[in-house]
Amino acid sequence: MSSYKETATRESCFQPGSTLCPGCMESVAFQNIGRVTDNGVKTIFTIGTSCGEVSTLAFPDVVAWGRGNAPPEAFEKSFSIIHNVFESAPTLAESIRDVADVLTSCGALQRPVQVLSFSGDGGAIAIGLRPLLHTIHRRTRITITVLVNEFFANTGFQYSPAATPFSDTSTTPAVGPTPGNLNMPLDYVHLAIAAGADLVAQISPAHGKLFMKTVEKSLECQGTAVLFVPAPCISGWKYDDGRTVELALLGARCGIFPTFIWERGQGGAVKDCPLEASERPRIEEFLAPQRRFAHLVETRKDTGEVVARPGREQTLEKLRAWTESNVERLYALAKLK
Amino acid sequence: MTTPELTVPLLRIQTRSGERYDSAIDLERVRAAHRPLHTARTEVTADGNTAAAIATLQMWRAVIYPGFPITPSTKWIETVAAHVAAQPDGIKRVKLLEAEHAVADYMAGAAAACRDLVFPTATSSVGLDHMTETTRSLGASGLGNVMIIDVYRATANYPLCIEGDPSDTLAHRDDGFIQIAARGKQQIYDTVLQAPCLGMHPDVMTPTMPGYYGIKDSHRNARLTVEADSAIHAFQDRWIRPCPLPGLINGDTAFGNCVTSRFFQGFKLEQKRRMEKVFEVLPAIGGDFERTFGRPGLAFFDAAGWPESGGVDLAVVSMLTPFPSAAVREKLRRARAVLVVNQAHHMGRGHLTLDVADALGNLPSAPRVLSAFAGLGGADVSESTWEAMLDVGRRALAGEDVADGRIYHEGAAL
Repeated sequence: MSSYKETATRESCFQPGSTLCPGCMESVAFQNIGRVTDNGVKTIFTIGTSCGEVSTLAFPDVVAWGRGNAPPEAFEKSFSIIHNVFESAPTLAESIRDVADVLTSCGALQRPVQVLSFSGDGGAIAIGLRPLLHTIHRRTRITITVLVNEFFANTGFQYSPAATPFSDTSTTPAVGPTPGNLNMPLDYVHLAIAAGADLVAQISPAHGKLFMKTVEKSLECQGTAVLFVPAPCISGWKYDDGRTVELALLGARCGIFPTFIWERGQGGAVKDCPLEASERPRIEEFLAPQRRFAHLVETRKDTGEVVARPGREQTLEKLRAWTESNVERLYALAKLK
Repeated sequence: MTTPELTVPLLRIQTRSGERYDSAIDLERVRAAHRPLHTARTEVTADGNTAAAIATLQMWRAVIYPGFPITPSTKWIETVAAHVAAQPDGIKRVKLLEAEHAVADYMAGAAAACRDLVFPTATSSVGLDHMTETTRSLGASGLGNVMIIDVYRATANYPLCIEGDPSDTLAHRDDGFIQIAARGKQQIYDTVLQAPCLGMHPDVMTPTMPGYYGIKDSHRNARLTVEADSAIHAFQDRWIRPCPLPGLINGDTAFGNCVTSRFFQGFKLEQKRRMEKVFEVLPAIGGDFERTFGRPGLAFFDAAGWPESGGVDLAVVSMLTPFPSAAVREKLRRARAVLVVNQAHHMGRGHLTLDVADALGNLPSAPRVLSAFAGLGGADVSESTWEAMLDVGRRALAGEDVADGRIYHEGAAL
């Protein structure tokens, strides 16, 4: 493992030129994963249609990928990326891994290649759940990264199966008495473990050092590593500038998307999110800055306290109960080996 | 296996699609790892799926066979799997995906990873339909090293019919693939061998979709002449040269960008120009094949005349996409009437009829174009059915006002 300082000063393959929103967590993830992959191994990314794709690979805009301002002298620093349809990224990565392995097996390729796939949660666990699970099931030696912003952000913030209960999305609108999304999120962490992944993590770049270490560990994994990256979305979650990292930490610590790292044969751990609810931040602190929950909570002007809006008390308690079960579930999953 | 010292520096080549690091992939080692299936010309008995499988197994450039079974193409992947399983220390691998959609995605990634290898699969009917989202991407991709062997079967499940009806391939004429129809085991084998030469030609760089009739050709046995692997390699190596553009592994490149509508025009223009190059390259490959192996190679027509029938000639179009309009116009320019027999359902006069009519449209005295449908769902086109259709042609020539676009079966116009 490299030191955090050393990794943080490497050359990322994510370059200026993207049109991702300022404050987008996806760009932070790309930047950091891009640095970790500058490790002397040729890097190939695959990416399904998503915000992260249309905002970085649009011609004739500057393609925001590649190391340095010109193609590198060293093959080991070279970088390639391929885009195809929403659900395709894991399968694309699997095929590239296979080709590299076959070429290596006969001596035709003598330099190592690392392959990482990128999807949004819409691409990976809605339209693309089947290829995601089957690529994991085939134990492919790749890192699958799912950027979870809980929407189909690329098409205008529609509901995805990762949406937090009672969030306002453009297809589960909080209108009148309807409190937004009524579906409980898909348990994608458990699905990835059950499908056969060797490393499964839910971690955002807000946990800087741990995030980098986890990505690095995923690249050393001999099976499939799956990283679910909670990605606060400034446009879809509707919060003020400058709060992306704060919300990523709050969401993890209050139990909405706890940081979780698990390895097959060793088990795992929930990090920075105590099992005891009283030791965690209140979910209201996470909800209040986001207008997607404005129908649910309000801040009292006299005390500054965040409370349920009148008539939403039961809904807020349901969300609290789901959060509790979410934390307990991940603690239980951590015990699996 | 011991890995030799990395002493040879990579040569960096600039291309319009990014940097290419030459010799990052040593293709000679792939070729050397090939285990020949046949060392001399051999006569075998095979069905169409087996003939297609043998052809792909004999290519040294084909090392991964992605697939998903569907009737009537299943035996292709079964045959390949049996061969690969019998040689566990070989480099060829079968890749079983969870569905046809995944197969198409897989081929996009694999073919882009190494543009000098050939990635074949076989499918049919709704299997091809299930690939559609990505076949349309593949068609525009420039990845001529993708080959989807389509074993014709009627599309749709209402009603489901598993017999050989080319409505599947004709429903995909806008996908961007070079579509070639083959008849009989020998032509299937020969077509599959030539297809990558056409698709991977630097002026063409377009994926190929050779096809043949399900059940009738896919499942029935016949004698087949199989060439020595070495002879096939020599032939293919004359046509397939290292791809001038970088792949994902040997390049520093981005693949599959999105574009604004302004630039979209340029991409489609180039795709169309590459497809049009098929008209120049295909006859050259077909000619070389015939000189090399003594059998007809790729051609626009698989034609047979009927001299005893007095003036009626039969022309079977084997090149479906791009449609050889100029060749059709030339062949039919002196005809007084043309009866186009369509074997795939169409809500109008038939896919083929529209193309033939378009080809003949600007002749000074264009022949009358009549349309008929026969053999739908893979039904036999009986002699009495042919007679019924020809009778319409004769009556049209006699000046009668005849019904156009009818379905014919067992000698009757339905």
